[in-house]
Amino acid sequence: MRERLPTVGRLAGTLAAGAFAIWLSYQLSPGDRSLYTLMGLYAIVAIGLSLLIGFAGQISLGQGAFYALGAYTAGILTVGVDPDDRLVNPDAGIDPALAVLAAPVLTGLVAAVIGVPLLRLRGHYLAFATLALHLILLAVIFAQSRFTGGQDPGLAVIEPLEVFGWQITGVTGGTARHTAIVWGLVLVTLLLALNLVGSRPGRALQAIATSERTAAAAGVDVSAYKLRLFVLSAGLAGLAGALYVFMLQFLSPDAFGVFLSIQFVVMVAVGGLGSVYGAVAGAVAITWLEHELRELGTRPSLLGFDLPDQAPQVFSVGVFAVILIVVILFFPRGLLPALGDGLRRLRARV
Amino acid sequence: MRELLQLVVVGLSTGSAYALVGIGMVLIFRTTGIINFAQGSFAVLGGLFMVELVDGLPRLLAGALSVLVVGFIGSLVGFVAVGFRRRTTPLASLIITLGIALLIASLNLLAFGDRPHTYPTFFERAWDIGGVLVQPQYVLVAGVTALAALLLTLGLQKTIAGQALVACADSRRAAELVGIDVRAVAVIAFAVSAGLCALGWVLLTPVDPVNYDSDVRIAISGFAAAAFGGLASIRLAYLGGLTLGVAQQLVVGYADEIPGLGQQGRQYELAAALVIMLVLIAWRSRHEVHE
Amino acid sequence: MNAAPLLEIDSLVVKYGPAVAVDGVSLSVEAGERVALIGPNGAGKTSLLNGVCGLVKPTAGRVRLDGRDLTGRVAGDVVRAGLTQVPEGRQVFPTLPVEANLLLGAYGREFRHELVSATLRYLRRRGAIAERLQRVYTLMPKLYELRERPAGRTSGGEQQMVAIGRALMAEPRLLAIDELSLGLAPLVVKSLSEFLVRLNEDEGVAVLLVEQNAVLALELCPRAYVLEAGRLVLSGASDELERNETVRSAYLGGGLDVSLEDLGADAEPST
Repeated sequence: MRERLPTVGRLAGTLAAGAFAIWLSYQLSPGDRSLYTLMGLYAIVAIGLSLLIGFAGQISLGQGAFYALGAYTAGILTVGVDPDDRLVNPDAGIDPALAVLAAPVLTGLVAAVIGVPLLRLRGHYLAFATLALHLILLAVIFAQSRFTGGQDPGLAVIEPLEVFGWQITGVTGGTARHTAIVWGLVLVTLLLALNLVGSRPGRALQAIATSERTAAAAGVDVSAYKLRLFVLSAGLAGLAGALYVFMLQFLSPDAFGVFLSIQFVVMVAVGGLGSVYGAVAGAVAITWLEHELRELGTRPSLLGFDLPDQAPQVFSVGVFAVILIVVILFFPRGLLPALGDGLRRLRARV
Repeated sequence: MRELLQLVVVGLSTGSAYALVGIGMVLIFRTTGIINFAQGSFAVLGGLFMVELVDGLPRLLAGALSVLVVGFIGSLVGFVAVGFRRRTTPLASLIITLGIALLIASLNLLAFGDRPHTYPTFFERAWDIGGVLVQPQYVLVAGVTALAALLLTLGLQKTIAGQALVACADSRRAAELVGIDVRAVAVIAFAVSAGLCALGWVLLTPVDPVNYDSDVRIAISGFAAAAFGGLASIRLAYLGGLTLGVAQQLVVGYADEIPGLGQQGRQYELAAALVIMLVLIAWRSRHEVHE
Repeated sequence: MNAAPLLEIDSLVVKYGPAVAVDGVSLSVEAGERVALIGPNGAGKTSLLNGVCGLVKPTAGRVRLDGRDLTGRVAGDVVRAGLTQVPEGRQVFPTLPVEANLLLGAYGREFRHELVSATLRYLRRRGAIAERLQRVYTLMPKLYELRERPAGRTSGGEQQMVAIGRALMAEPRLLAIDELSLGLAPLVVKSLSEFLVRLNEDEGVAVLLVEQNAVLALELCPRAYVLEAGRLVLSGASDELERNETVRSAYLGGGLDVSLEDLGADAEPST
């Protein structure tokens, strides 16, 4: 676990970067802004996952499921739980702001339920179980389409998000304000995570990360901490998902494929296993990369070669995979830590 | 009753193919300590290669070739995941196998497109066994996979190569001390494991078509089978696979009688595997304390 | 007069990440010698062995066996050069029968790397390996009795014999033993010790005994090194070390291990 207590300098730097990120929300064109918002949402998820992997040593391949669960919870609660009621009654659901708050609670609960038995076992049980969770969730969304909207027609959530009269999203989806709030949340999450690392529970977590046996011998309740981390990471993912709903005002399972869960792991792995800053950097980089690759794939031809129909997927997934393999092979602790080491070595030489 | 019997036969057959995937996972896990997420990919490759080759070549040759090629691919995967650099940690290896699974899936998409692939079954007619219609392909799968599992178990016990493999699984340290090249053994474990997965789907594809993204569900089912034996026992993994296959078929077969599932039986075939696995894991963790 | 020692360790440094386990240790073992390495738990004894036997790559220093530089080579190379280790805690292969355990001991000596060519070579060398197996059975008849039993189902002392037998199958010139007495009853340790002495004197196999039980180590081996916190603090003839005050108080304890002879030799008034 690589995080150290942030020095005053680092803290100031982080706040400055956060302020910049929030300011940037207002400067981008709507097209760029939606990608930027997505980066922010994914960064929140990645921070949670990074804590889980870095401290508990458990890999969750289901953060995408918690993200989706959060999204659908918020969406369904907003439009109304009863599918028949929805069609006739515009006031069927609850206040969107409440729905957004309910989402992380629900995802946290689900995580608690499956986490209790799973976290006692070795990491790969959780990995598969969370992957399984994602698939089950997708199956449920598809199968219970009357309730969830399924793939077609999907779930339209046209109510705007507002908090105490302060409007956050418009009828047509994300506004700059929404993006700013998302990035504000990224900053808050980052600070909370850093604070967690430096605090007393943080030291317990460090002990666990170093050696579970030693920590247990020292009286640390390893299972309880792991469970808390898992629930926290699930809650963060759920919150991000809930906010996502109001960006597009529309939900369909297409946005929540299994690949998403894998992408989150890639973000954390590339950014730096256990590095919270790395998680944010990884989220930004990977989201951007995936977007670019997908765009590249939609072009009819590249460098003189005709691209097949499936090119967008092949490009984004395939190239992605290669990058992941290469990075992990040569930088097993992630890029950011490797960069950090490199800089340190340079500085030592100077 | 007839339908039940049919479901059981199909379940035993698909289950034994999953069992091979699970056995492969146990093999890899015990010799290297990592879980291979690309297990499903090996199975899919086996099926896809067979579909391509069976057109021009005699069936036995096509099947054998597919298994061998996938076995070779497996050794490459093993090399990258474990054998390549000494610094690769188990966590990193896990992520690498995940990446490899993704890579193979996207290559499959590129090469074979997004549609289920299959080839005609070996047998023209279904067999009539006591009034029950049984598709012989299922019996073939069950029989061949049982034989493969048996041969593997014998090989591990009786040959020096097999014993060296078991030695690595028993005590990596002592195996290294004795002079066994543990990384080479890991690569071979991958190759054998890949061959086993391919074997299952080389034969199963006529009744269970594969698509480029089938690897996820196969890997999960394989893991469920392996989890049955705590990732340690080949025999239990085999049993687990059979149990899983039968349970899945029963869920699909009687889905309309289970409240709340509706007509979506097929959708829940995978979910059945997953729920079983989760329940199994929860049950196991009653006894186990984290290592 | 001095032929080069069989095993020469020169300023060896072994680190695990930033932690230094072995901090510049130099020692040597002559052909046919019995040498002990004693020291408290965590002194770096096992790390030293790991560095010598190829499980860990040393950060600095040299390891030479019979003049050949083995520094940083993999375990297989070290085994082939003539140095085998009986690891701490025996580490037999529990699910394999005793005989398979022994045969695998010859593996590293006979086969270079991967299993395919290894299998072929094994078939060709079956005769030589069978001969060696017979010799081990002659040395340790109990193992012949147990040959079909899964090694995990034998007693601690028997497992120790299996581990030693396995190490002997590689026909080593030097046998390094890590914690011979760990978890074994005194009587068992006694008979194992006697066996080791016979092995050393009759077969000429040099022994490097790494032990926490200093009394045993100094009794068995005429020469010893003392390792503390990764550094060599003392070395010399065992009987001299036994009389050394620091050694006595730190490692030879009081009461329990003092024999009648000791009391007799110390009969001077000590006020």
